[in-house]
Amino acid sequence: MTEEEKLFLLLSQFEISNKKMEKILDELGDHISIDRFFKIKDLAKILGEELYANMQVCASEVRLRQYQRNLEESGITLLTIFSKSYPEKLAFLPDKPYFLFCKGDLSLLSKKSIAIVGSRMPSNYGRMMTDRFAGQLAQSGVVIVSGLAYGVDSIAHRKALEVGGKTIAVLGSGFNNIYPAEHQSLADTIAKDGLLISEYCPSMKATRYSFPQRNRIIAGLSDGVLITEAGIKSGTIHTKDFALDYGRELFAIPGNITSEKSQLPNDIIRSGQGECVLCVEDILSSLGMSKTEQPKKQMQLSFEEQEIVNLLSNGDFDIEYLSKNCNLRVNILNSCLTTLEIRGIIRRLPGEVYSLI
Amino acid sequence: MLAKVASFGLKGIDGFQVDVETDVSNGLPKFDIVGLADTAIKEAKERVRTAIKNSGFEYPSKRITTNLAPADVKKEGSLYDLAIAISILATSGENGIKRHRDFVFLGELSFDGMIKKVRGVLPILISARKAGFKKFIVPKDNAVEAGFIEGIEVYPLSSLDECVKFLAGQLDVQKVDACSFENITLQREYPLDFANVKGQARAKRALEIAAAGGHNLLMIGPPGSGKSMLAKCFPSILPNLTFEEALEVTKIHSIAGELDLKTGIVATRPFRSPHHTATTVSLTGGGNNSRPGEISLAHNGVLFLDELPEYSRHTIETLRQPLEDGVITVARANATITYPANFTLIASMNPCPCGNFGSKDRECRCTPAQIHKYLSKLSGPIMDRIDIHVEVDNVSYSDLKSENKEESSASIKERVDKAREVQLRRFKNSKNFCNAKMSVPQTKKYCVLDEAGESLLRNAFEKLKLSARAHDRLLRVARTIADLEGEENILPSHIAEAIGYRSLDRKYWG
Repeated sequence: MTEEEKLFLLLSQFEISNKKMEKILDELGDHISIDRFFKIKDLAKILGEELYANMQVCASEVRLRQYQRNLEESGITLLTIFSKSYPEKLAFLPDKPYFLFCKGDLSLLSKKSIAIVGSRMPSNYGRMMTDRFAGQLAQSGVVIVSGLAYGVDSIAHRKALEVGGKTIAVLGSGFNNIYPAEHQSLADTIAKDGLLISEYCPSMKATRYSFPQRNRIIAGLSDGVLITEAGIKSGTIHTKDFALDYGRELFAIPGNITSEKSQLPNDIIRSGQGECVLCVEDILSSLGMSKTEQPKKQMQLSFEEQEIVNLLSNGDFDIEYLSKNCNLRVNILNSCLTTLEIRGIIRRLPGEVYSLI
Repeated sequence: MLAKVASFGLKGIDGFQVDVETDVSNGLPKFDIVGLADTAIKEAKERVRTAIKNSGFEYPSKRITTNLAPADVKKEGSLYDLAIAISILATSGENGIKRHRDFVFLGELSFDGMIKKVRGVLPILISARKAGFKKFIVPKDNAVEAGFIEGIEVYPLSSLDECVKFLAGQLDVQKVDACSFENITLQREYPLDFANVKGQARAKRALEIAAAGGHNLLMIGPPGSGKSMLAKCFPSILPNLTFEEALEVTKIHSIAGELDLKTGIVATRPFRSPHHTATTVSLTGGGNNSRPGEISLAHNGVLFLDELPEYSRHTIETLRQPLEDGVITVARANATITYPANFTLIASMNPCPCGNFGSKDRECRCTPAQIHKYLSKLSGPIMDRIDIHVEVDNVSYSDLKSENKEESSASIKERVDKAREVQLRRFKNSKNFCNAKMSVPQTKKYCVLDEAGESLLRNAFEKLKLSARAHDRLLRVARTIADLEGEENILPSHIAEAIGYRSLDRKYWG
């Protein structure tokens, strides 16, 4: 362990604002070591008495080694702004995170990526659009970045994994306190098949302000931000603002003007802050990529299945409508719907609403 | 001077013999009842004394002691009044009472000497017949329910005076005519019929499957979507009660004092819907004067739990044993009682606290955490016992007003009956009699899938991310669907339909 590494290991355990970090690094100059660090004039004043005291306790060699071992055992890599793998996209941001805890495939950091963010309670339309765009982007080789939250975030992650694509989840908490706890298993899968990132040390718990903070990393890490569905007061607005600050492309999927949940994307389109997205090519072309054509699905449908597909091609309908408007006995209808769903031709949404994929 | 007459008490759903012995001797006037009697029996002293006096008989002004044997079993209720009164009157020998040793006496007395109805007459008569008793005197109000048992003589009497005259041989009383069950079955009527429910084709189909295979079912839908209405129609498509089943149900209802005294027997499948504030004891039974609870009253019928997550968790958990074994064992300090509780559970719930999650015309305002919390009130073990989940949405106004003819309960019932016949043949030599109760080896044996079905199921688990606990339930429901269709083997289409009824296993909640 070099002296430099030791200091960063120490600092990474605490929440230190960017301003203070800059000051500390300025004072240290080229000689980065723990000894020099503690000799900085007025360090206690810069950090605050409590933090300073805590740091002194943690600075022992034994403690640092223990901490390093813990990280290694959990498969966590600690990136600092000086690391080679530190993502270039973040390096030039004014409020870049000094430390990044990573778990998974670090090579994803340098790939083309799109952040897909939005409401935690999307409507059926929002679910479908998130699903569609996440799937097609991931299939085309774009890394899907999101925040592991309920709703749009988790739908995007799951879809990317499902089609065999890559995804990055940026957490608003430490790795040991996944929020929401329900998404622990999703986080584990992403750590295995994608990349999990947090700027907080593993034991940190989520706080009110850590989520907006996380959003800046989401926006920073990606080449473009796609907002599928979000209300005008949604937290997604932070991600939008960060994306604009950082000069990232902003994409919005239009929705009904009557739908509260499409207010933010509609507003973005109206104000010209972002691009109106109607199909996945709109996004890919601005990334300089093209769509990977998926082999067309063999759609051999039975007579009954064809009838259902025909009905659904006019829009999404619930079971009540379907049973009334196709001449099928309810048991046949039920079994056809399941078969179609398993074959990936239709999908079932809450409220037993069905839609074509 | 000593007299002894026979009566019966209740323990669980069975009767036990109680000998009422009365001794009248010289001493200060006093009346004591011994033999672990509860307050209702202690108070019988006053009722008996007044009833005897007001019936025109002489109440001995002596020291009276009554023993209820066996003395170490707790006794409760007012049904020993008549026996106590007769035993007192019989000691003096002045009233011409001769035949009191031939009868079993049941009945409560009022101050004017009338014999009032008591609960539990039917189970007592059944037990007493087994014990070899042949002649009974019961309150006139309980006459009808007593008429269903053959091979005994039951004399319905309305007053103490009548009773004494009858025992003295001065009065002829017509014994109760045995009433045949067939006459009663004709009067099976259910208040609600599926013909009155517009739309909801899928929910109806799910209920049909539940009825055919005895599966427990959960309906998920916004408030006002007709969940309760559908549930209330459910008994009307269940197979008819057999005489034995009806007798069992009647026994329980008789003990609970919930019997309709005009018909005297429960001929229709019971439908019980306890409110979600129900206490655990009111559901399971037991309590101070042990009575069957709601789940036993739903025996051979339907237990409907509206708004399932609103019930206290503890209360819901107590359903685990009965759902598995069909009985509930209530252990209390003074007794352990087993009541039958073999019911079909129909439950309903909202998809989220506000009820509008997934609704097409109203917006849900719950946070994901709230929805998650709401759904997590249903414990895994209980969900494990519910085979079918079906989503129910609001019916539009135009559907409500439509003139479309809906299928009547009777025609659905025909299909259900057929499917049940198939199952009765299948399970001829085993304990259970419906698909829902199949054991694991039975599931293996009777739910064989062909290759296409197997691959469909595997695909379903992978694509739809069903939870593992769904596997056997799916097979059983598919078996029932196949039975409804009259198919020997489970076809892929049956599996596919069954998969459609596992809404809660989907990951889209929350």
